[in-house]
Parts: sequence; structure tokens; C-alpha cells
Amino acid sequence: MILGRVVGEVWATKKHAALDGRKLLVIEPYLWYAPSHEVAHLVAVDAVGAGIGEDVVVCMGDPARRSLGTTSMPIEAAVCAIVDRIELADDRGARALTFVGGDEPEHDSI
Amino acid sequence: MRLGRVVGAVWGAKHAAGLDGAKLLVVEDAGGGRVTAIDRLGAGVGDQVLVAHGTRVRDLTVGETVALKDVIVAIVDGIDVAA
Repeated sequence: MILGRVVGEVWATKKHAALDGRKLLVIEPYLWYAPSHEVAHLVAVDAVGAGIGEDVVVCMGDPARRSLGTTSMPIEAAVCAIVDRIELADDRGARALTFVGGDEPEHDSI
Repeated sequence: MRLGRVVGAVWGAKHAAGLDGAKLLVVEDAGGGRVTAIDRLGAGVGDQVLVAHGTRVRDLTVGETVALKDVIVAIVDGIDVAA
């Protein structure tokens, strides 16, 4: 699973029929999941009602499809949790964490 | 899935049998990484697209015999971003 923040929502008219009515969210991974190359996003199908600015957990592969209640959707990433709070040891993490749900979180780039 | 823009097409007279009639497009992501994906939606050069990857994705969209696991599953109209 990947920890990230929702930074956008994708709109597409022409798409695979199984994606009709589904919300496609642009996720910016962070902490140790941040990819080493410059592309710092992935797109995941929303399964929990997440929105822009929220920190989320994205699951990949077959569990992603199952979290959407199907195994016949041609996707490999789904938002399966909205993060309320994260606790980490002080020496972990690429940046200080801020949390959604209270004050507006800072959004540092990776 | 990853977002990218179609930058070209690929033709190969000699190809794996499963690729007969397949339309292959080169998709470049924002960081310059490129992937060749199969298209069944009618995407063209310049279109922004959503590319899904994997065996199951391939099986569900273009069939088990296709020797490629990156599939264009949506042509993007627009992206809302955080203010």
C-alpha cells in the first residue's frame, strides 16, 4: 500500500466502460514511497469518498479491485482509506508530517 | 494508473501473433518516462491518457493473448487540482 495525498481529480469522457461513474484521483505519494524519479503521481479509483487535499492509503493490484467490490475492473490502484492520523518515530520520514482533519495541512513537495 | 501524453505510434510488420491489429501508442509521463501502451479508445498524438498496467488489466481489456501489459483505459478531458 502507498501513503499519499490527493492532489487532483481526473475527468474523462472516453474511458473503459467499467470506469463509468467512478472517481479518478491523482495521488502524490510521500515519505518513503516517493518514487526516486521525477514523476511523483499515480491515479487511483476512489473507493471511500476521498477528496482533494486529503491524505489517503492507496492499495495496488488485486486488492485494489476487490476494495471496489469487483474483480473485473481494469485498474490496479484504489484509494482504500482516508488517513486521520499517522504516528512515526522521530527519525523516520522525509519531511515532517502534517495531518488533515484539523488545520489546513502544509503541502510540501516531495 | 499513470497519466501521460501520447507522443507517437509504433508500427511493426513483424510482431507477436497476439498483437495483430493492435494500435500501439507511445505515452510519455510528466517526468519524461515513456511506455508503449495498447489503445482501444481511439486516442491520438497529443491526447492526455490514463494508462493502467498489469496482467489482469490486460486480460479484462484486450484479451489474454496480447503480449503487452500497458493499456490505455481513459482519454483525459481535464484534471481538477488543489487550489
